[in-house]
Amino acid sequence: MKYSNQLRGSLKSKWALLGAILLALGASTAWAEALPEGGDAANDDGSITDVYYENDTRFRGDDATGNNVGLSKFRNTLQVEADRRLGSSGWEFHGVFRGTYDGVYDLNKSEYGKNAGGAINLQSTTPGGFISTPYGAGPVTNTVVTGLGLPGNAFVDSYPNSPNEGLRVLGDRWHGLDGGVAFGVPVRPCNTDSRGCKDFGGYGDQDKNELASPEFNDRLDFIREAYVKKTFDLADNKQLFVKVGRQQVVWGRTDLFRVLDVINPVDYSRNNIYDELQDIRIPMFIAQAEYRMGGSDWLQEQNLQVVWNFDKFRPNNLGQCGTANVILDAGCLFRGLNNLWENGGTVANFANVAPGTLLATNFGAHQIGLANVDLPEWSLENTQLGTKFEGVTKGGVNFSLNALTYRSQLPSLHGGKRSVNGFTGVNREYNPYLISFDMVYPRVNLVGGSMDFQWNAAKSAVRMEAAYTSGEEFANTNKEKLFSRNHVFRSVIGIDRPTFVPFISETRTVLFSGQLFYQHIFDHERDQGRLGHTGMADWEDNFIGTLLIKAFLKNDRLSPQVIFAHDFNAESWVAAPQVEWIASDKLKFTVGANVKWGNDESKYKVDDCRSCNPWAPFTAPQGDPATQFQSFSRGLSGLEPLGRFRAGPIGTAVREDEIYFNMRYKF
Amino acid sequence: MRQILLAVSMAVLASSAASNAYAATEADVEKSFFPYKDGTPTADGVTPGAVINKDNVDQFKAVLDEGMYKVIKNGWYEIKVGKTTSFDQDKFYIDATKKNLGGTKLGAKTGDIEGFVAGRPFPEEPSESDPRAGEKLAWNFKYGQNWGDNATITPFYWKYRDLESGKLEKTLKFSFGFLNFKHRVQHAPVPEVTPNPANLFRGIYVKVLEPQDLKNTQLLIQRYEDDQKQDDAYLYLGFQRRVRRLATEQKTDSFLGSDLMIEDFEGYNGRVADMKWTYKGTKNIMLAFYNHNEMKLSSDFKEGDGYKYVDFHGQGGCFPDVTWQLRKVYILEAVPVGPSPIGKRIFHMDAQANSINRTLIYDRKGELWKSWTIGKSHPDSHLAINKGTGISIDDAFSMVDMQSKHCTTGQFKGQVDPKKVPPAMFQVQFLRGGN
Repeated sequence: MKYSNQLRGSLKSKWALLGAILLALGASTAWAEALPEGGDAANDDGSITDVYYENDTRFRGDDATGNNVGLSKFRNTLQVEADRRLGSSGWEFHGVFRGTYDGVYDLNKSEYGKNAGGAINLQSTTPGGFISTPYGAGPVTNTVVTGLGLPGNAFVDSYPNSPNEGLRVLGDRWHGLDGGVAFGVPVRPCNTDSRGCKDFGGYGDQDKNELASPEFNDRLDFIREAYVKKTFDLADNKQLFVKVGRQQVVWGRTDLFRVLDVINPVDYSRNNIYDELQDIRIPMFIAQAEYRMGGSDWLQEQNLQVVWNFDKFRPNNLGQCGTANVILDAGCLFRGLNNLWENGGTVANFANVAPGTLLATNFGAHQIGLANVDLPEWSLENTQLGTKFEGVTKGGVNFSLNALTYRSQLPSLHGGKRSVNGFTGVNREYNPYLISFDMVYPRVNLVGGSMDFQWNAAKSAVRMEAAYTSGEEFANTNKEKLFSRNHVFRSVIGIDRPTFVPFISETRTVLFSGQLFYQHIFDHERDQGRLGHTGMADWEDNFIGTLLIKAFLKNDRLSPQVIFAHDFNAESWVAAPQVEWIASDKLKFTVGANVKWGNDESKYKVDDCRSCNPWAPFTAPQGDPATQFQSFSRGLSGLEPLGRFRAGPIGTAVREDEIYFNMRYKF
Repeated sequence: MRQILLAVSMAVLASSAASNAYAATEADVEKSFFPYKDGTPTADGVTPGAVINKDNVDQFKAVLDEGMYKVIKNGWYEIKVGKTTSFDQDKFYIDATKKNLGGTKLGAKTGDIEGFVAGRPFPEEPSESDPRAGEKLAWNFKYGQNWGDNATITPFYWKYRDLESGKLEKTLKFSFGFLNFKHRVQHAPVPEVTPNPANLFRGIYVKVLEPQDLKNTQLLIQRYEDDQKQDDAYLYLGFQRRVRRLATEQKTDSFLGSDLMIEDFEGYNGRVADMKWTYKGTKNIMLAFYNHNEMKLSSDFKEGDGYKYVDFHGQGGCFPDVTWQLRKVYILEAVPVGPSPIGKRIFHMDAQANSINRTLIYDRKGELWKSWTIGKSHPDSHLAINKGTGISIDDAFSMVDMQSKHCTTGQFKGQVDPKKVPPAMFQVQFLRGGN
């Protein structure tokens, strides 16, 4: 992602821009006139301007290599929130403007900045054990393969344009190599090392300044929200509510999980899954109209909403490799794959040249990897449209029915694409089962609903949410293109129960809030191959449970809480204790940690398509002469590249335990 | 067994018949709404300009409730005595009372009522010989004028204070709205908002405007006409941008960390069926009734229209700087019938307004826990919009936690302005329509 001309320049100029916005909104006037009197009371024209500063500082311990990460975030945020009444028209404006500078790229250069990564070794498996060789050293090289009688092969002996520096081994932050497939991943900011840098959808090609201050980009993300809204009174107490501009539209009734809350993509690069969604949803230009019909004979409330997301498509930001928050470690897979495509690279434990022998292989450029990213351009047909009917029954049950047609916010990798055959040097446009990918964002259609009600017998409130989608795509080694399109059902049931816990407080309840998430993939494929399971990496049925326990002390100025989450299939856990102290109406401190743990990571091993034999017969696995000319997976498995889908966001972050300190001040 | 059941049924019927036997008259209505027509109450030394303080409080013990006596005895507060005045009620409400006189009866169970249309359901003087007199007062409060058909308190400032040090811990700025879906007497639509298939009686809407950690939090309480049915409550959390259903337990929880529960709003904000009610007699005691515009007002918060709020002083700044007057009061005991952190409440209900202005809240051990004051201003000495409404304006509150030595104070800008409080505000969807 590149800066637009007017935003190009130093950090100083970016902050000046935010300051100019602040002044344009009359914040200084609001401060001078209102704050001494106890806050930012609305002016006569209904204008309110609030200005916040936040510092978020985090530290991590050792990753899976034993490397102590240290400072993982030193994020400083200035946020301006403004409301204006637009004359007497009834229209109102709301804006949120945010600028961030994360100093971690300057303060911890060896981990996240220009000195990150280094020279790496890659692994080969032999009957005598693992052997380790430097990136670029093979053992399977052009010379070796030529020696086998294939002088036209396209493997390489070295990488003069892609040296062994600034690299990490794919997945080494969260797991060991253990005989699996792996390759080198460049981890330095793209202004330092451009290898593997590509726009995967708002991330992936960012230089250090863009990583440190991500809001100042060509999508003008420092304008987090800017919309106008108006309520039109109609006959019979009915109303039409209209809201147009950059905004967040929130559907659903659950916390943490996004079953219906999928209109806005999410920026996981800011703080993985640990920030409030309102701070990490990526606001989009959206027009929404809501016809509030009031009551009828059957329903106490009826509301029909139409949401048109007419912004240019944006997916979730999964985090650029080399930064602290790379959810599922996906950004590293993408950068590593793109680097493989552009520059070639050594792939560990790959060539099955003899029984029990898998040798690291020096692939050349344009043989395997990720070549193209198909980011939908703006067009009317690429816009996204949703509708929701929300009602309240006579008995007080609140419900919604939702439908949305949108673009998947997660990428899908389509394999079997064009490639130069490493053994023959011949280019072919279609190569079934070859890990030559393009990235796409397919269209998805969703229908769903939600409801909540009181459960008086249990003194609880119950929340439910469910969605059925068609069009989502999943990695599937049973398919020639290495993906399949499946229908998916997701649901969440949540129960909130405020409970008096006498040893904590006899006058203030403690909130216990539990949720159970369930996902089912229809037509799931998982078969037994000769060397292991083949098919889909994702679980057919998966459950994740969460429990929040939050207490309120000292008149709610001191609030300890803990969140537990458990991924049942991945057998991984996270516990996130936190204490929030509101020192004054303007100043708030938070300290906390998130600690993850899991079971045997071998459970995440899944077919990696090393045994797919895409360049038959050269890539046929040992011991299968009858099918040496056939391309399909025999099921040889490892943690990379698809084990991340079984480990999930908790399992892949199991070596990212973190402690943090947060301070937020309102001017 | 059948004989026992029959006996029990007969006893219930007899009790019900006894409590419903009295037929109120127009004279009862006059006495109920104009208790000071023939003169105001008097007591030795209770004269306008007198000050009740810790040095002379024992002399005035008879005209103070137990909690206020302790507060003054502790030296936390001094009461300035004002002249007792009539707070004439809304004539539409009085007319409705007269029109529907004698038409309302209690049902078999606490929380059951039959035949109520509008106005004060039981205008007759309560009698200690009537076992359900307390319940009738509770109904009079529930169907009382409170804020009329619809009104708003905007802004509404709450301050959390340490009673001992006076340290101001937190300031909240709210907007409150009230709407009667049914039994409306003056403002269109009369008599009810339609359609209303859920048969809601009343709605309370709350929005937090400040401070930062609570900004844009909204609360909606929907109370059903059927008193046996639990209220519905919804909370919109600004940082979540999502409406959450509240569990019933949260009605007796500290509201946003204040010394109030949702159940404390307006004196008592719950169902009749939630309590066992006992009428404990009638007394003349001091209540914070006054004329707002004649008080020494605060310069705390500036309003564009020049409105000024009631000031607070005394120990920790926990008490309203207003005059109090000697008024006729019904004493009403309410004991929760279900689990509650509260042992009982003793309400002091103003006989003329049937509003609850002094409440003593006891914990489950029977110890005095909170002392709860709501000050009322005469509407004719307040904002112009309130003049002539006959709605006694809630104008200042003080909730003192006697045990933890902490208080929450409230400074109101109450506006009986139905235009600012449309029915749409009391729909769940309204919560989602903000930012």
